[in-house]
Amino acid sequence: MNVAVTTRAPTSPAHPAPVFAMRGVTKVYSMGEVEVHALRGVDLDLHEGEFTVLLGPSGSGKSTLLNILGGLDAATAGRVTYRGGDLSEAGERALTRYRRRHVGFVFQFYNLIPSLTAHENVALVTEIAHDPLTPEEALALVGLKHRLDHFPSQMSGGEQQRVAIARAIAKRPDVLLCDEPTGALDISTGIAVLEAIGKVNVDLGTTTAVITHNAAISAMADRVISLADGQIANDVRNGAKLPASAIEW
Amino acid sequence: MRALDRKLLRDLWNVRSQVLAIALVVASGIALLVMSLGVFGSLSTTREAYYARYAFADVFAGARRVPNRVQEQIEAIPGVEKVQTRVVVGVTLDVEGVAEPVNGRLISIPERGRPVLNDVVLRRGRWLDPDRAEEALVSERFAEAHGLQLGDRVAAVINGRRQPLEVVGIALSPEFIYNIGPGEFFPDPLHFGLLWMSRRHLATAFEMEGGFNDIALALTSASASTERAVITELDRILDAYGGLGAIPRSEQLSHWYLQNELTQLENMAFIVPMIFLGVAAFLLNVVLRRTIAVQREQIAALKALGYSNARLGLHYVQWAVAVVTLGSLIGIVAGLLLANGMLGFYMEYFRFPFLTYEVSVPSILIAIVVSLAAAALGAMGAVRSVASLPPAEAMRPAAPESFRVSLFERLGAGKWLTQPARMVLRNLSRRPLRAALSIVGISFAGAIMVVGSAMMDSMDELLEVQFNIIQRQDLSVSFFEPVKRSAVHELAALSGVMQVEPTSGVAARLRNGHLQKQTAIQALAPDARLRRVVDVDYRAIQLDRPGLVLSTLLAEQLQVEAGDTLVVEVMEAARPVREVVLTDTVDDLLGVAAYMEEESLRRLVRRDDTISGAMLKIDSQAEERLFGLLKAMPAVAGVTLRSAALKNIQTYMLDNMSMVMGVNLLFAVIIAFGVIYNTARISLSETSRELASLRVIGFTRAEISSILLGELALLTLASIPLGLLLGYGMIAGAMSAFESELFRLPVVVETNTFLVSAATVLGSMAISAWTVRRKLHDLDLVAVLKTRE
Ligand SMILES: Nc1ncnc2c1ncn2[C@@H]1O[C@H](COP(=O)(O)OP(=O)(O)OP(=O)(O)O)[C@@H](O)[C@H]1O
Ligand SMILES: [Mg+2]
Repeated sequence: MNVAVTTRAPTSPAHPAPVFAMRGVTKVYSMGEVEVHALRGVDLDLHEGEFTVLLGPSGSGKSTLLNILGGLDAATAGRVTYRGGDLSEAGERALTRYRRRHVGFVFQFYNLIPSLTAHENVALVTEIAHDPLTPEEALALVGLKHRLDHFPSQMSGGEQQRVAIARAIAKRPDVLLCDEPTGALDISTGIAVLEAIGKVNVDLGTTTAVITHNAAISAMADRVISLADGQIANDVRNGAKLPASAIEW
Repeated sequence: MRALDRKLLRDLWNVRSQVLAIALVVASGIALLVMSLGVFGSLSTTREAYYARYAFADVFAGARRVPNRVQEQIEAIPGVEKVQTRVVVGVTLDVEGVAEPVNGRLISIPERGRPVLNDVVLRRGRWLDPDRAEEALVSERFAEAHGLQLGDRVAAVINGRRQPLEVVGIALSPEFIYNIGPGEFFPDPLHFGLLWMSRRHLATAFEMEGGFNDIALALTSASASTERAVITELDRILDAYGGLGAIPRSEQLSHWYLQNELTQLENMAFIVPMIFLGVAAFLLNVVLRRTIAVQREQIAALKALGYSNARLGLHYVQWAVAVVTLGSLIGIVAGLLLANGMLGFYMEYFRFPFLTYEVSVPSILIAIVVSLAAAALGAMGAVRSVASLPPAEAMRPAAPESFRVSLFERLGAGKWLTQPARMVLRNLSRRPLRAALSIVGISFAGAIMVVGSAMMDSMDELLEVQFNIIQRQDLSVSFFEPVKRSAVHELAALSGVMQVEPTSGVAARLRNGHLQKQTAIQALAPDARLRRVVDVDYRAIQLDRPGLVLSTLLAEQLQVEAGDTLVVEVMEAARPVREVVLTDTVDDLLGVAAYMEEESLRRLVRRDDTISGAMLKIDSQAEERLFGLLKAMPAVAGVTLRSAALKNIQTYMLDNMSMVMGVNLLFAVIIAFGVIYNTARISLSETSRELASLRVIGFTRAEISSILLGELALLTLASIPLGLLLGYGMIAGAMSAFESELFRLPVVVETNTFLVSAATVLGSMAISAWTVRRKLHDLDLVAVLKTRE
């Protein structure tokens, strides 16, 4: 596949080509005798600049879906394309290049490198990206300009999560994928993190998908998708999008 | 600096004590490699330069007396480039303040000009004045041993007359880099020295005017065929003048010994360092695997961020390379220092006028390449596991390790185990390969100690056998020329002499087809009590059958076995050539020899009943007076004292071996500590959550320590018997590698050696345990339980 060389195709506003297109995607984990069907035939299009919230009970397949979109995992069957390029056929090298050029990840457990400072954790990405923000700019975006030289162990969970967001957005990714970014945070910290994500979505026009257990967060989304038992149970557009600060927890 | 490189440095710093422990193991291997190659390179280069600059000869021969005119005939042999004829005689010396007999070799140098071959290096003083008969140059080590200064006097006993000689210069010669006296096995500068005298005066003193008895040749080509042809022709010419058989440079004593030493160094250069680097590769592998296991989420996150497998693989290869590079640097520096020390030691025993110190760049490059290979080996499997780690793992905590009931418990012994003991067994049986490799690793430490001190054991045994069982005389006397057997009675009549046994021998060449060997056949009386030939169990062999007995090594070189027939070319008297049956072989420890029962030898040689020397047992009370009497006897060319020879060897051993033992101890501790400490740290890292949980539910520090330390103790104890076995195997291998015509070391390992080895390993374990126990005490319960892993 040639995801890496595919640049943003000019799209007509009337029929915008989707950024992601999933068709009949299934994912089966076989663990010895037992087979776990994490996704059972998902069809989904995500569009340019869209802010999508993924809801659903534990084990419904949200993380699996996000991992497949981000090129971390491969579907068992079905087709996944990114701007027309086929992710499901891509090999290890092409996926690495795809992640490096286009995707920003925010993990539920932060996954910062403990031996590197906030600044260095962000530099990890800016060093290998094309035309990135500087680590200082990225950290300023999440309000951590004053914590550049702190190690993860010297920061709170919310601060670590914001470093993780700065790390994800520093490369000016085309898509930002966040797996429960506020799962471990209190309300005000959670809002600060969501504000940072929302800001990137609006300012940089980044296509964004956020997994959450907190339905209230749907208020700031363009679109809310609910998963149940590996299938899309509900897919609604949010007409009255609110800023993160206005969300009632 | 790149963020990933920063991570590398900080990760390394976090486990710095483990890194250092591994680096030191690498350093030990590299140090040994650099040292051996450095010493080898320096000595070889120095030797070659010395030989070239001072014209060391290619062929050597001795004869009774050759008229000067024969020199032209020798020069005419095709393939001969240069000829140096000399007068060389052995005498006893009288050095002021030394009561014991001292032997000397007087060597002539031309009156005008320098010797064309086997030149002499004047270290201090001046060359001889040809008009003065009483001047001599003295060999450097002899002068040092006796504190001789320029202008001092030494008396040579020539024909029973004391001939005083003035020391006008101190000298060295490429012919005597390794310098041992007749009947000796070690250089003993106190009891054997070289003196160079003007040819004319020396010839006059020994009735050698107009002739010579020693020939050195340089050849036009180094080819073996030229060498063989020249030797054959030279022997033919010298036949009429009592030629004793010419030898090529390769058999010249000093050269031969030095060559032997160099070969040993070269062989040693790779074997032992490989053990260290193998252990280092194992440790790197274990520690790296653990590091990767701990960092699996970091690795997955880095992959998710767009780092490729290759880049992350490289990251961990760099980890290994950094450790090995640190070790190499330490090793290279230590190796150069050790090489310096070793060279100093060699310079003491082998004298060179200069030392071309070769900090051989190739040897350092070899060291670096070899250590990097160890790093690659260590990183290999670990890095593969990085590549196979799916990036989606970053999203998920690791699954709990799978455990199983250990074999020991399955056999039904489980019910007697306490819970901590159960944990120890399951920890070990979860990774049986790693446990096994740890045991092997630690056992190398034990083995190194065994090898080190078993060397001493073997040497002790050798001395015991040689000086108490084989040679039981107090002193041996050699004559200038064979004398009548009645001389025995003259000796026996001297006061203080308790027992006398004659010795005699003939120079001969033994031949089996194209294989031949120049040697002396020693005559032994069937009832000999002072000098005996012993079998493998050190029991005296009765020489009562006519026939030849050879040292096993000599028999092997000639490819003959007991029962075979050899051709013996006698190089004396009527020079008969006879076929003689080889009746037996003996495992001589010191030197190689050929023996025959005295009556049969006499018949073989067809000569009068003469003896060439005698063995004496003496009353130590009358020793000094007796020494004086012996020196004054005109027929006596040399007197060798057993106690002096023994003391000399013991001093040498103490010098040499204590250094070797010290270095070995250091290396053994490094390797034991390296393995045990790293094993402990990894167990600690793997089980710290478990241990912290146990602490939380009420286990004491001592109890949780016992889990971790129990594992260490079990590994260490298991390694001890293996180490002893391995050590025994290595020493047996080393002994057969060291086996030479000069000595053959018996494989002997005393109980003490085993104890020292076990104690070293246990000591290293104690140090590691103590270090890790402190970490265990500092275990931060809250932090350990809070972290996800
Ligand atoms: N590596 C794996 N091996 C086996 N089964 C897996 C694996 N990863 C996920 N699963 C299973 O697939 C299903 C979907 O998992 P997924 O992680 O996508 O759920 P989720 O919606 O993200 O849940 P949560 O809200 O708890 O994070 C679950 O039943 C899970 O047990
Ligand atoms: Mg999930």
